[in-house]
Amino acid sequence: MIDPSEFLTFIEKRFQYICGVPCSFFKEFLAYLTAHEKNTRIKHIYSTREDEAIGIASGIAFSGKKALIYMQNSGLGNIGDALTSLAQLYKLPMLMLLSYRGLEIDKDFPEHSLMGEVNEPFLKVLKVPYWNLSEDNWETEMKTATKTMIETSSPVALLVEKGVLCQ
Amino acid sequence: MMKGFEVISALKKHLRKDDIIVSSNGNISREAYHVLPRPQVYLRGSMGLPIAVGLGLALTNPKKNVLVITGDGNFLMGLGSSTTAAYYKPRNLKILILDNMKYYTTGGQKTVSSVINYAKFLDSLNIEYTDSKRASQDQIEHDLSELLGSETFSVLHLHINEGKKDLDNIAWHPEEITDRFCTRLAKSS
Repeated sequence: MIDPSEFLTFIEKRFQYICGVPCSFFKEFLAYLTAHEKNTRIKHIYSTREDEAIGIASGIAFSGKKALIYMQNSGLGNIGDALTSLAQLYKLPMLMLLSYRGLEIDKDFPEHSLMGEVNEPFLKVLKVPYWNLSEDNWETEMKTATKTMIETSSPVALLVEKGVLCQ
Repeated sequence: MMKGFEVISALKKHLRKDDIIVSSNGNISREAYHVLPRPQVYLRGSMGLPIAVGLGLALTNPKKNVLVITGDGNFLMGLGSSTTAAYYKPRNLKILILDNMKYYTTGGQKTVSSVINYAKFLDSLNIEYTDSKRASQDQIEHDLSELLGSETFSVLHLHINEGKKDLDNIAWHPEEITDRFCTRLAKSS
């Protein structure tokens, strides 16, 4: 697992807000964030749905600020319009952490199977650049994704497998 | 009852220079673009998201008023975002709901808006709320002025008559909307 304090230190230098809908794959990181909400520069906004999180991040981006978004990949099914007719259309930068459910490890959870299978093709069809976030190389991967987000002024994604931001 | 574009036109004299408007897709964005000072955040698409966008703008611009103008269809589609906005209650966020109980832009199909008791619903979220159900034009002018002058997160729900002005589409591509709006914000902050 990535050390949550190192991860938070990294993101608070690059993002002013963090917003999303939780997944157990983010459990330890979100617990650390919540415990340190008072002494971190990044502001945490809860959201009722994944497309709402994209909407909030869009308002933040219209103001020249940046939001990091987190969601389970099931939420990908909820954000098609928010991406194509808002964040991508208006060129609003944001970085999405998507938990990568539906891999071998979730084989007992049938609700994740199909999205796990189509997750990457889905992002390709939506023209969202994406990378995998790994325990060993996360800083480079975060920097690459953030750089593309800024250069293209558009949403980008990082896929987060089990054990990277949770135990 | 007034028509939607009459209400949007009436906003003009109550807006302050720095006020930010987020308009929901369809006729509302088109009318806001043609009638009110430019540039603002004119949404196209973005189904059900104007309040979420307004919340993001209100949190990042605490010294400016952010007015979200939404129809009932869009409001219902993003109903969850009114609970999120109510949770954070940014004092500078104002929501104007223009309710004709129809998806007017797409041809006047019915929405389910008539089932909501807006007063009870918004009251349950502790939102400052005004309903100008059968108000005269003077009353509506007064309510618009109160909404924009309010020191708390507030909602004004207006029943409106259907009817729109024949207006050209928004001439700016969304990327141009972003550029112009960001330039405006950068100048005023």
